[in-house]
Amino acid sequence: MIEIIGVTKSFSTTSSEVVAVNDVYLEVKPGEYILILGRSGSGKSTLLGMLSGLIRPTAGTIRMNGMDIGNLSDDKISELRAKEIGFVFQFSGLIPTITALENVLLPTLFCPDGPGSRSRAVELLKKVGLSERADAYPRTLSSGEMKRVAIARALINRPSLLIADEPTGDLDVDTEIEIMELFKDLNREGTTIIMVTHNPDLAPYASRTFGMDHGKLVKNPESFCSRTWRLEPSVHSDKGI
Amino acid sequence: MMKQKMDYLTFIIAGIRNKPGRNLATVFCFAFIAANIFSAQFLFAGTVMNVDQGISRMGADHLVVASQYTAHLRGSENAPENTIAIVKVEPSLFRFNANIMEKIGKVPGVSNMSPQLYVATLDLPSLSPAPVDIFGIDPPTDFTIQPWLQTPMKNPPGPGEVIIGSEISGEVSTQITVPGHTYTIAGRLDPTQSTVDHTVFLRLDDAYTLAASEGIVPPSAPRISPGDVNAVLVQVKHGADTDMVKSRIQQPFSYSYIKVIQRHFALDPVSQEVQGLSSLLNMISMVVVIAAVPLIALIAAMVAHERQREIGLLKSMGAKRNVIFFLVIAESLVLAVIGGTVGVGASLVGFFLLNTKGFFNSAFQVSLRMPANAEIGFMAVMALSVVIAIGSIASLYPAYRCSMMNPYDAIRSEEQ
Repeated sequence: MIEIIGVTKSFSTTSSEVVAVNDVYLEVKPGEYILILGRSGSGKSTLLGMLSGLIRPTAGTIRMNGMDIGNLSDDKISELRAKEIGFVFQFSGLIPTITALENVLLPTLFCPDGPGSRSRAVELLKKVGLSERADAYPRTLSSGEMKRVAIARALINRPSLLIADEPTGDLDVDTEIEIMELFKDLNREGTTIIMVTHNPDLAPYASRTFGMDHGKLVKNPESFCSRTWRLEPSVHSDKGI
Repeated sequence: MMKQKMDYLTFIIAGIRNKPGRNLATVFCFAFIAANIFSAQFLFAGTVMNVDQGISRMGADHLVVASQYTAHLRGSENAPENTIAIVKVEPSLFRFNANIMEKIGKVPGVSNMSPQLYVATLDLPSLSPAPVDIFGIDPPTDFTIQPWLQTPMKNPPGPGEVIIGSEISGEVSTQITVPGHTYTIAGRLDPTQSTVDHTVFLRLDDAYTLAASEGIVPPSAPRISPGDVNAVLVQVKHGADTDMVKSRIQQPFSYSYIKVIQRHFALDPVSQEVQGLSSLLNMISMVVVIAAVPLIALIAAMVAHERQREIGLLKSMGAKRNVIFFLVIAESLVLAVIGGTVGVGASLVGFFLLNTKGFFNSAFQVSLRMPANAEIGFMAVMALSVVIAIGSIASLYPAYRCSMMNPYDAIRSEEQ
């Protein structure tokens, strides 16, 4: 269970203070698939950064399984990330000097007692359709393949929460669909997913969809988005906000 | 068995492979420092040990020489050359009469003594491509030359018999000719890596006969009279106070006639010579170290800056601060170990080759003796420790900065 209670994050610049996330409330139950839509600069990535403990909130509380992650020490947050959180970035974030398999295995360095293992890495690469490319270096992989390796990497330690920051941002439509199907499968298997994107077409994959605008989390993304949204009412929920 | 988890070394090596050119430069830097430190120690230990071993094998605790010899020895101009001459029992024209041995023999604490006479240095291509030294020894009392024999002799050399150095041509029991005189080879010495290898040792009486022959002693040199010797080598009884024995030997004689030189004295100027080079290498090492620390720190800082996103990613995967700190330091340490090993290895090979080619003999008039493996190991560990320390110190600050990096800012660093 993740609880975001009145979370605000502001950054000081030389001339002013920018409020990236403004008084956000959200409750995410285990196994949910949350999609947050919003334009660039709306504060989506900052919110994800705070959820994963990479950024400390200026105000408010983020609780994960009852733990206030804003108050945890740096090492404790790192431990939490290693065991409980998988992160997929918009860029692939693969280390270029190691193979796809080694990239998937990389988080096991920081979670030596975790469930991650070579056999699981092989299994995950198979799951993302890259079992044949295990020994390939990132430079030889396509953008979609790199993204899939990054997803496999995020899952190696069996995290309870998968955070994805624009995971399909620079991909073609076919690859985008492949990845979203993969996320759907993972969610069906019990992984909680919180994903941000600026693509409203992806909304049907999520169990709940929110919008983000000027640091505020809103229930109806249509209200601030100029695009025509094709959200399916059936997957919407009124819970949690 | 295949490893089930990722290991740090694989990751660190991968990081190093990422920038081969820059890392090669860093390795070279470490190698240069290690080579300097190792060389300084090796050179000193190798040469001093060679001299020390030579003297030990000679078995003499004191050398009694003509006083002019030591005056010459202390003279700044020719000091090193003559110092080596003493150590190797090489040519000297300063002599005294061997009858002093009677008095020396009565000194309490003296266990053995043996005279040596330098006759001449001759060009004898049939015996050796290098000039051949002719020495006279007293076989019954000699305890310095005969211990070097390849095969021990049943009896000391008789009249007309000689002992030859390892580089002199001729088999045992065959004859050699020194202008106007023929001698039978009674024994051959082991290599000493000194001019002893190019020396023919005659009995003293044969030496006086040879010296009296025309064309042996140069006309400019003082005539050798029967009874003349250049040195008396003295062995002190086990447990006796060598300083006391030295004083007692010197006591009955005027300082202007003879001087007693202790083994360590003979070593000192040699040590100074070698120490000069050794100090120079140490000084170069220090300069290199002073220059290298900020350079390596700069390289480490550059690496840290370039890899901000990678560090942010590692943190997002759960890497703790100490892990990031360790990774940056470890990368530097791996480079230090590689560089240090290359530097030590290259120095060792270099010394071996230079010594084989006789470089040290011609440049410093000393042969280099390979120190014992344990000693080489110790010196290598010392040199490696220094470069490892440099690597660690130089990468401390970059490692600290990386460990304190805000992961979110680090991840987004390339977007800004």
